[in-house]
Amino acid sequence: MSPCETIQESLGPWLDGELRGADGEAVRSHVASCADCAAARGRLEKLQLTLGTVLSTEAPQLKFAPFWREVERRIEAKRPWHEQLIEWCQSTLSAPRLAWAVPAAIMLVLGLLSFAKWPVGGQADNYASVESIDAHGRNVALLRDDKTKTTIIWLYQNPEGENENVEEAAKSGPAF
Amino acid sequence: MELSDWQLVEKSQAGDADAFQELVSRYHQKVFMVILGLMRNREDALEVAQETFFRAFRKIKSFQGGSSFYTWIYRIAVNNSIDAQRKQKRNPLDFHESMDGLFEARNEVAKDPFADVQDRELRENMSKAINELTPEHKAVIVLRTIEGMSYKDIGEILGCSEGTVMSRLHYARKKLQDKLSAFL
Amino acid sequence: MLKKLRSPALLFSLAFLTVAGWLSAAEKNPQSVQVRIRTILGGDKGDEFDPKLKGMEQQLKPLKHRSYRLLKDDTQTVPWQDGKSFEIPGGRSLTITPQDFQDNRIGLKVRLTQGDKPLIDTTVKIANKGNFILGGPAHEGGSLVLSISAAAQ
Repeated sequence: MSPCETIQESLGPWLDGELRGADGEAVRSHVASCADCAAARGRLEKLQLTLGTVLSTEAPQLKFAPFWREVERRIEAKRPWHEQLIEWCQSTLSAPRLAWAVPAAIMLVLGLLSFAKWPVGGQADNYASVESIDAHGRNVALLRDDKTKTTIIWLYQNPEGENENVEEAAKSGPAF
Repeated sequence: MELSDWQLVEKSQAGDADAFQELVSRYHQKVFMVILGLMRNREDALEVAQETFFRAFRKIKSFQGGSSFYTWIYRIAVNNSIDAQRKQKRNPLDFHESMDGLFEARNEVAKDPFADVQDRELRENMSKAINELTPEHKAVIVLRTIEGMSYKDIGEILGCSEGTVMSRLHYARKKLQDKLSAFL
Repeated sequence: MLKKLRSPALLFSLAFLTVAGWLSAAEKNPQSVQVRIRTILGGDKGDEFDPKLKGMEQQLKPLKHRSYRLLKDDTQTVPWQDGKSFEIPGGRSLTITPQDFQDNRIGLKVRLTQGDKPLIDTTVKIANKGNFILGGPAHEGGSLVLSISAAAQ
């Protein structure tokens, strides 16, 4: 790349005031002594001037009152649920929040899975497997309730001595 | 005493609608100009500008002041404009007569700096050339030209580095110069 | 902005992974079992359902008693292969001995006695943090219902 090409690439930042110190000085002194680069500077300045004029004159002066009325109308209007949902997703699932949300969601799922293992009724795997029962001569019933996945061992007691009274023994059988 | 932007933001965050209205009154014209520069259509630009302030109102509570309010509002404006541009293509600088009531009365002919025939041609061609730039190139040109923003601020608004802003500006200007070489 | 957030997010993720790893390791090699015995009196006088038994309505429903009252709620930490006794009303005693832990299920040896007499000996495997019900012994005009829960620690 020739020195003029390098300088002409830096003309924009230099005219924008973004090149300071030695870099800015190098461009300034080169443009002062080089006719081609001075012409390029002139073209760029004209472009900027024209751009500025075009962009600023094409925009009409807005009346504030009607502008604000429309903004206010939007603020007060109830948005359809799907627009609210999209807006909520966009604000909630933005990248920095997502960095926190992902581990938090994993933690929540693990917590729920762990919680689901406690006997709150109706949980997935609460059945007990009964490997042995010895009721020492008494009758025993084994029930598995599908609804709550609960295993029930019911002991029918002999009326001899171990019950508090005979009548109660008769009543102690389960109704299931 | 006039309140600073940040004081108005804090009041808006606390639910003060008048404070938010004051912020809108400070920035509506500049935001509209930037959006018009990007959209190239007055009707669409007005719609996007109003939507920009509506969205700013909805998001104001999450604005932490990590950047200045104007950088933040321009970021919303530029993003909305780029989204809207991608969604629809309309004729540049087309506007409906029914929208006249929204603009201040203005004698455009008397104030027209392009009275000369060649300059009028330049204006038309410049407008066409801007319209042909990519949304990213248009954004750097508009923010730099209308607002005279630093590369740092432009980078913050567009979510890119100062180096990227510098390079986009260089190529955008080069494209404009190529298209307007007969006039410049 | 992202740069600022990246390091706390990374720290949080590392801390999360460490805790998750620790919890996972703890779950694989539990040191003891927390055993909870809820002693409930099922009766047919009145329709009282003890509010302390909230959450157990469905589990008790198959027994079809009209009323349920919580008499005792004991929790003890029991080491593996070591038996701990729980006092049950009516001079009874329930001894629980944790046997093993496999596939997130706890093997328990359960012995219910009244005085010196054994009433029932059973060996069950229940889900970690799950429960089963042992019922039947007569008490105060109704039946005793024992909810036996275990959680590996």
